[in-house]
Formats: sequence, structure tokens, C-alpha cells
Amino acid sequence: MSQDKTAEKNRQPAVSLENYERIHAHTADEAILRKGSGITANTLPVRKAEIPKEELCIDIKDVSVMFNLSKNREDGVKEYFINMIKGKVGFTEFWALRNINLQVRKGDSLALIGRNGSGKSTLLKTISGIIRPARGSVRVEGSVAPLIEISGGFDRSLSARENIYLVGTMHGHTKKYIKSRFDEIVEFAELEKFIDVPVKNYSSGMLARLGFSVATCVNADIIIADEVLSVGDARFKKKCEERISQMLSGGTTFLFVSHSTAQVKKLCKRAVWLEKGKIMEDGPAAEVCHSYAKFIKSIPLKQHTKKTETQNET
Amino acid sequence: MKKGLYEFMNYFPFLKEVIKRDFKKKYYKSVLGVAWSMLSPLLMMAVITIIFSTLFKRTIPHYPAYWFCGNLIFAFVFDGSNTSMNSMINNASLIKKMKIPNYFFCISSVTQCFITMLFSMVPYFGLCLVIGVPLTPYMLLLPLPLIMAYLFTLGLGMLLCSYGTFLRDLNYLYHVMRRIWLYITPIFYPIEIVPEQFRFLWDLNPIYIYIHIVRDLALDGVLPSERMLIIGTCYTILMLALGAVTFKEKEDRFFLYI
Repeated sequence: MSQDKTAEKNRQPAVSLENYERIHAHTADEAILRKGSGITANTLPVRKAEIPKEELCIDIKDVSVMFNLSKNREDGVKEYFINMIKGKVGFTEFWALRNINLQVRKGDSLALIGRNGSGKSTLLKTISGIIRPARGSVRVEGSVAPLIEISGGFDRSLSARENIYLVGTMHGHTKKYIKSRFDEIVEFAELEKFIDVPVKNYSSGMLARLGFSVATCVNADIIIADEVLSVGDARFKKKCEERISQMLSGGTTFLFVSHSTAQVKKLCKRAVWLEKGKIMEDGPAAEVCHSYAKFIKSIPLKQHTKKTETQNET
Repeated sequence: MKKGLYEFMNYFPFLKEVIKRDFKKKYYKSVLGVAWSMLSPLLMMAVITIIFSTLFKRTIPHYPAYWFCGNLIFAFVFDGSNTSMNSMINNASLIKKMKIPNYFFCISSVTQCFITMLFSMVPYFGLCLVIGVPLTPYMLLLPLPLIMAYLFTLGLGMLLCSYGTFLRDLNYLYHVMRRIWLYITPIFYPIEIVPEQFRFLWDLNPIYIYIHIVRDLALDGVLPSERMLIIGTCYTILMLALGAVTFKEKEDRFFLYI
């Protein structure tokens, strides 16, 4: 209980012995991973004050994000007391991001790559302001249109038409403005026939199309796309890519998560590779993709073999 | 402050859309739709009048209207704060995907209940004509206590939301509270049955203050006493400030729990 309270107060939980061990186990783990993929510690990016301030559009300084792993989630008084008696009150802390430093220039396109659970989505959510970091600061210049987890905030029981207005106003636009862009949004998403159908009956491809269409039509300065592009079919993907490059030339900043290195290389100049909440490499897309691919190959399929084995195999 | 105001104006269209959505969802697939917000208090009134009017006929002249006023405010304060308490959980899908100031969902839930209350008020005037309550110009002052009750409910809703998001039990506890609060508020009984020396305790009940002002204006056709107005305003300001401050302090951690 006391630990939980302090965590709430300073947002910087005291490092208990258990935590201490975990943190150190984590770094050891990382060292092994790096060694395995032939990457040395000095590839860790320290890119401070490279970009002049006026051109900066996203400035992330030393950001760490903590989640409570809901092992014993206390949703009720009864459970809370039972857990307190068991001595289990408080969550296991999980640092989804650790000391992230990232600067993005206006009009840049940046890809985040990394394995599942490496913190890509968390970083995107932090940039869009949905998650507040436990430590560090995030400064974003301009408006952000986030497209998180396919359906960018759609209400499932409403029709596409109502959702366009709901999400459009959520981006801070007036109804009149959205009305003027409405046809364009529907046309791009190719959903003219289904515009009055509740979104819950949509396929994931249709949802992704609608989401992408809304987010790119609201004139945001920064567009954040989380695996949206991987859902649509080849033709729509191409359409999206065209629109992205068109927007990039117009000065929009684009951030996206992708598991397709080919797509990353095609769309982005720069890529950031995240692993276990830390930036492993930050640089030109081709280079980062190359070392990421190398790293992926180096991981044995069996995840929980002993660490020494991992080392030996590679 | 200026930034907050700017933010509010910027997201104002969104607020309208959300309220519209909530309304649509509330009466989703019901035949009578919005008419229910007018019909249900009338039906309740009929039941209550049958049960209690013989009991309080002598002390309360227009018993149905008396009950109606009390119930109107009470139901609004409770429904408003209750939906506001659950607003973070109910709107998790939006909150988790896009950055919108969290308090907007509290405002939208309270406003939606407020609009429902305004609908419920419409049959009240018809009722007045039927049972012979004089329509006076004082009724034009009704927005004053209603706004007071609105801001109070908003503050209470934000306060409850700050804790209810973390501890879901609060929801059940609050429903028990509702029952208790309903009995200690003179809604279906007159304040006169409370012994004189204890009556000051009833001043501690903000809902009663608002009900009293509404009854003065809409039922008795007199100006409410200054004392009542001052106490009511104080409750409103205090609750709103308390709610806003608590909410601001807690909202950073909401995303971990929804």
C-alpha cells in the first residue's frame, strides 16, 4: 500500500529490491540481445540539439512510461482488502518506455519498427497525448491526428456518417468544416454504399479505410498511424501511400508503425527501432531496417530458452 | 485559464456531437423515444400521489406539483452525477484513442441529463393548469436554481468520477446513498414534519436547498429567501471547485484504469 501511495505522489516509485533486480536483469538481457545481433552499445542514439528549434515538431525528452501490470487488479473494495491481507496490494510496475529521446523535424516521415510489445504504440500514444509519461517531457507543435489501433476512436454503434462528425469534431473542427470535407472523406474510403450502416458491422478493412480517410482529411500537422496501413488490400495501400507522399510534400509530418520493412523503406527517410522500451537505433530507414532484420533473424523462435543458450547459438 | 478557455471553445463542436450521441443511444430503439423523459415522471407522480396524498393532503396543497418539483431536481442531481461518474469507463474507446480533455465527458453526461430534465419540465406547466397552480411571472426566474443545480451536479460528478474510475464499487455504494438521500430530502413529505430544533440539519443538504428555491418560484409563486439563495450559491461554488481540483489531480492516471 505504501509503495502504491508513493508512486502516486511523486510518480517516481521507489525502487524496491524486486524492481532493482528486474531492471538489472533487463539491462543484462539487452546486452545479450545486442551482442547477438552484432550491435554495440555505441549505436545507441544520442541526438540532442541536432535539429534547430524552429524546425522541431516533436521533441521528446527523457520520457518514461509506466504501466501497472494488472496481475491483481483492484477493481473493488473486496478484492482490495483480500489482496491487502495477502500482501499483494500494489501493481507490478512495467516500464513500457524508458528514457526515450526523440526529435522529429517538421515534414519528416518517421517509422517506428520493433517487435510486438517493444513500446511502439505506447510511444505513439504518448506523442498524441493520450498517455501521460511518468517522467520526462513531450512537446508537440501543431495538431495531431492519431490513428491508433485501426478504428481511430469510432463509436461502434453509430453509423459511419455520425462517426465522421464525431471524430472530426474531436480533432477540433467545426461541423461546417467537416460538412465541406464530408464527400471527400467518403469518396476516399470508398464507402458510399455503407455510409449509414453502423460501424460495428464493418469489416476491419472498411474501418481502416474510414479511419485513414478521416485522419488525412482533417488537415492535421502530424499524422500518427499505428498499423493501419497493414489492413487494407494492395490497391488501397497504394492509394494510401500516394496520399501520404502527397501530404509529405505538403509539409505534414508522418509517424507510423509498420512491420513491413519494404513499406518503411519506401515511405520513410528515417526509422527508429525500439526494443523493450528503448531506442536501439535511430537513423536512415534503410540502415535501421537492415540491422532490425538482422536482429530478428538472430532471435531463436523459442523465446524462453536460457539466456546463455541464446548467446551461444548466435 | 486563457488556454483552458481556448481549449474549451475549440472542442465545443465535439461536445455537441457527444451530447447528441448520448441522446441517441439513450432512446435507441424505443418507440416513444424522448417522450419517455416527459412520460415517466408523470407516471411516477400518479403512483406517488395515490400512495401519499391522503397522508399529506392537509399540509401540502398541490401535492402532485409539490412532489414533481422535488423529484425533478433530485432525479437530475443523481442521474447527472451518476452518469458522470461512469463517463470515463463508458467513453474509454474514445479516451484511449485520441486526446480530448477528459472533463468534456463529465460535462456531456451532466448536460445530457439536464436536457432530459428540461423535457420533463414541459408537462409540469400542463399539470399546473390542470390542478390549479397559478402560473406566475416568478417562474421566469427558474433558470437560476436550475443553473445552480447544474453546476453543483457537474462538480459532484467530477468528484465521483475521480474516484469511481479507480474503484468501481463506488457505483453500488452510490445507489445505496441515493436511497438514503431520497428519504432525508423532503420530496414526498413536507419539511414541517421535522421537529423545529433539527431543521437546521436540513440546510446541510444541498439538494433540498435547490428544491426549496424551485418550489418557491414554481409552486408558491414567491421570491426565494436571500438566505436560501446564499447557501445554495455557496454549495454550488464549493462543490464545483472541489470537483474540478480533485479531477485535475487524478485525471493523469485515468488511462491506466479504463
